[in-house]
Amino acid sequence: MPPLALLAPVALPLAAGGVAAALGLAGLKPGRAIVGAGAWGAVLALFLLWLPVRSTQELNLGQLGFGASLDLRLDGAAFAFGLVILVPAAVLLTLQPRSWQEGTVAALGVGAAVLAVEAGGVLLTALAGGTAATLAVIQLDVEDIRAPRPPWGALLAAWLALSWAGAILQVVSGTEVYAAVPVSALTVPVFSLLAAAALMASGLFPWRGWAARLWSRPSLRAAGMAVATLYPLGFYLLVRAYELGDGRYPQPILGVALAWLGELVALGVAVRAQAASTRREYLGEVIPGFGGFALMAIALGTPVGLVAGLVMLATVGLLAACLPLLPDRAGPASVLAIAAAVGLPPGLAFGARVLGLEATFEAGDFLGLIGIAGAATWVISMVAAARAIGLPAGRGHAANETFPRIAMALAALILVAGPALPVILSVFAIPAQAGVMLDAAGSLGGGLVSVNTVQTALPALTLFAPLLLLGAIAYGITGVFRARGQARPPVFPIPGAVAFGRLRDAVRSAAVPEQYRSIVNPRALEMAAAGGRPLLWLAGLAALAFAVNR
Amino acid sequence: MAAFAAWLGAAVIVLSDGRRGLALGLALITVAFTLLAWMGGERIAAVALLFGGAVAVVQRLRTGLDVWRVMPPGSTPRLVLAIGGGLLALWIATSVMTGAGAPLRFAALGVVGLMGSRVLMADIKPAAVLTSLAALALSVAVASGMADTGLGPSPYIAAAVIALGISLIKVQDTNGG
Amino acid sequence: MEPELAIGLPAAGSVWAAVLQARPRAAFAGAAALGLSGLAVVVISTPGRSSEQLGITFSLSSESRSLLIAAAAALALVVALAPMSVERTLLLRWGLAGLAGMAAIGAATSLDTVILTVLVLAVLQAASVGSRPFTTRMRGPVLAAALLALAAAFARNDGPPILARLAGVGLVAGLSAALGTLPYIHQFDPAERTVTSPIPWIAFIGPVLALTVLTRARDLVPTEGAAFGAMMIGLGLLNMLWGSLASWTTEGGAAAWHYSFMADWGLALCGFGLAVADGERAALLVLYSILLSRLPLYLWSRQSLREKRPNDRPINLLAAAMLAGSAPFAGFAARVLLLRGATQLYSPLALVIGLGLLLWLPPSLRLGRSVGLPRGRQAWGVGGALAINVVIGLYPQPFLSLAGL
Repeated sequence: MPPLALLAPVALPLAAGGVAAALGLAGLKPGRAIVGAGAWGAVLALFLLWLPVRSTQELNLGQLGFGASLDLRLDGAAFAFGLVILVPAAVLLTLQPRSWQEGTVAALGVGAAVLAVEAGGVLLTALAGGTAATLAVIQLDVEDIRAPRPPWGALLAAWLALSWAGAILQVVSGTEVYAAVPVSALTVPVFSLLAAAALMASGLFPWRGWAARLWSRPSLRAAGMAVATLYPLGFYLLVRAYELGDGRYPQPILGVALAWLGELVALGVAVRAQAASTRREYLGEVIPGFGGFALMAIALGTPVGLVAGLVMLATVGLLAACLPLLPDRAGPASVLAIAAAVGLPPGLAFGARVLGLEATFEAGDFLGLIGIAGAATWVISMVAAARAIGLPAGRGHAANETFPRIAMALAALILVAGPALPVILSVFAIPAQAGVMLDAAGSLGGGLVSVNTVQTALPALTLFAPLLLLGAIAYGITGVFRARGQARPPVFPIPGAVAFGRLRDAVRSAAVPEQYRSIVNPRALEMAAAGGRPLLWLAGLAALAFAVNR
Repeated sequence: MAAFAAWLGAAVIVLSDGRRGLALGLALITVAFTLLAWMGGERIAAVALLFGGAVAVVQRLRTGLDVWRVMPPGSTPRLVLAIGGGLLALWIATSVMTGAGAPLRFAALGVVGLMGSRVLMADIKPAAVLTSLAALALSVAVASGMADTGLGPSPYIAAAVIALGISLIKVQDTNGG
Repeated sequence: MEPELAIGLPAAGSVWAAVLQARPRAAFAGAAALGLSGLAVVVISTPGRSSEQLGITFSLSSESRSLLIAAAAALALVVALAPMSVERTLLLRWGLAGLAGMAAIGAATSLDTVILTVLVLAVLQAASVGSRPFTTRMRGPVLAAALLALAAAFARNDGPPILARLAGVGLVAGLSAALGTLPYIHQFDPAERTVTSPIPWIAFIGPVLALTVLTRARDLVPTEGAAFGAMMIGLGLLNMLWGSLASWTTEGGAAAWHYSFMADWGLALCGFGLAVADGERAALLVLYSILLSRLPLYLWSRQSLREKRPNDRPINLLAAAMLAGSAPFAGFAARVLLLRGATQLYSPLALVIGLGLLLWLPPSLRLGRSVGLPRGRQAWGVGGALAINVVIGLYPQPFLSLAGL
């Protein structure tokens, strides 16, 4: 394939968006086919580019002018994240009805997100990621300007922080290209910037993040696209950080801290999920819950952990396509989706979480404690899932946006893909891990039937396949999908919620006491400064002269 | 003497509100700068300054309040400014700065400083602003004579044209324009 | 003769439009033709070539030329797509006068020519009918002229080192006074016509003026680069902070726009003060953004501000994104370059600048809403400004190459 073909996964969605815009401006109704075709074309292009070669391909189209060059690179990590972004985006763009404006912005956002993961350097990733974030916010506003959206300031700050990290790498080492940055350039401050960018970009915090809040929107068209395109990007940065650091973060404590943060994120999600009052509210916490576990696994710094995290992200991708297509009424689609999301054996989520927890125990020392905490969190999330099946549906979104059979198929795919975990690892996750952890000890083995780690082996096919069969038989006998929604109390109240709420209200209502307000008078200050007063001007001149001659 | 005349002209402009006082100040500045340029060998520049300044003086005599109004009530701060500014310019031009050309430096610094300060004053009338601007333009041209590489007569001609043009502008003497 | 024509043709166009006021179509056509001719001369001119046809040496540098082209493009955009309620001939007349002045400033090889041109422009602007008194409108530019003249005098004479430093102070303060940035903010009346308000100084004439003054400053005070840069950075940070906070909290929408220009100038001043190539590139991109995006959007928002009709549509959010400097707009590229330049010089400075950049978002959302719901020509104009900004943001290299950077 000629190197220029690397542009295809980026160019096809962009072109589709352009065509949709042109047709829309001309008064024609472009429909979903065009933008859907663009996204599926990008998926196909990605497969065609990667599978025959399965090694790194690069394309450099020259300097852009702000320190970055248009440098594209397709390696295992880019392929993996490209799929995580493109597949759910393609599904949603194809199925959900959208105006041409929404479709255009969505397609452009997809192109930008793919460029972010195909970028060969930090600055181009920052530009593309920032663009994807801007377009996601615009898309959400096109759909409904009053509904919740991600905090734009945080997204802006995230990509600005990343661009600063890239600038520092350039100044210190002369380059910000992932494959060329010397290990010594990835210092703790630079990594901190990068990690901060990652966490803010994906909203990976113990409190309720933007990915959960989006699920309270009346419509889930733009929300699904925003999660599909933006949410994986933060994780991408953490994965690329391994490449910058030659397979590890600058200090082990950084990985431990991030892993613990991941655990806290997952725990926070689980606690909120078990207190959800509607099924919609519970489903909003599903993807962030996965994100917490994925962060925990990726940050461990071991090949097993990274691979587990990548598989979890693949599951996130499938769920990002499945959940917006779910109808809000109770039914088999919802139950299957919840079962797939919570990690019911022998699903893909189950396998990935088992691997992730295994990775913590293999990492040793205090990281094993994270695994124990993770296991406890998983238990809570199981309880929350069981409870959620019987919850009332919550605020509904338009029926023409929902495709219960497709959603059910996607959920079923997650469940039945469990036995194929070794295949998924071989094709999807291990090449990505090998690309960023070149000489790491403790890589995985086992072929297409089982997953062999350093200390153990998980016979995925031979163990999960019979479980799948048993599950199918159990369903056939009991027919467990008939559930009625009713309000249920939480299993336990969210600790500290009342106190936190009081503190937040106190901070919001804080004001300068009445007797001191005359001291802080911004209006008077503004009038003084902007009144064109010569005295102030002369004082400014004197201050400058003094400062220079000090 | 020419430099002193320039300062005196600037001081009169600072202290005057009526057209006669302003015209006198501008005339003093014009004559002083003409002499300084002539003595510096810039004949064409001197002629240009004289012409432009003279037209500006004549125009000033035709518009504005038909009074002298030099040192009206409450002008003590202006007097202090005129004297203090002059002394400061003199000190900088003769003691701080070194080399030949002290009169030129004193004249230029004095007029620039005083005219700039004059425009910043509260309750200044448009006639005084226009006069100060004309004087400022002339002083900028004269100050260009301090440059190492001679700029020729062009800045002086440009300043003269500007001073002439400024003098032809009519501005309403009320707030809000 | 290129620089002289670059000055003369727009000036002639402005005079033509003024003389033929009673016949608007002829005035507009003639002025537009002369203006376009002037633009053509600028485009085909060779940067750095001197000309002395009028007894004054003129030479247009690459940077000045690029900003002149940008300013001309901005004027064309604004005039061609002006709202129906705006008299386009008047806008063109004033715009061409400004362009002529900018060409004279950009082509000037001595600071004295710059000062005299500033005086002329100030008088022409202040003498026309406006809501602020004539004397108030003259203050800022006259102070600028006086400070620049004093600075030139200090720099040209021998004496102790303090003279050179004071010359630097005068140059920086004079530039700030001409632009109308903090602490020399020009008094602003939101109800005043744009052509007679401080906006032309800060948003139209300012970019070329700043470039020229800084170029001349390097010749006048070559030994005071560090102090000069420190002052620029200090004023830049001050304007960033004040401009963004005031833009966010001030009551009036037009005043918010005025402060937003100041905030952008804060970035540009920081960029110039860094005295590294990246800083200069960042400053240039900010100036392009001011000319080609912020100024046109301000003009198009005036009607909506007067009628108090803010709007919350996606187009307003796009405008806000552009004004906030988020990717993929030109402001993002400028910010990357600025952070890189600051990191080269002094890393903590980059941290301060980075934190300051976060303040752009809240006022930008407000300004985006104030654009209202653009319709017809205005909608095309807003779309065009956004598109230009995206192109510059994604691929700034050609625009930087145009400026010789």
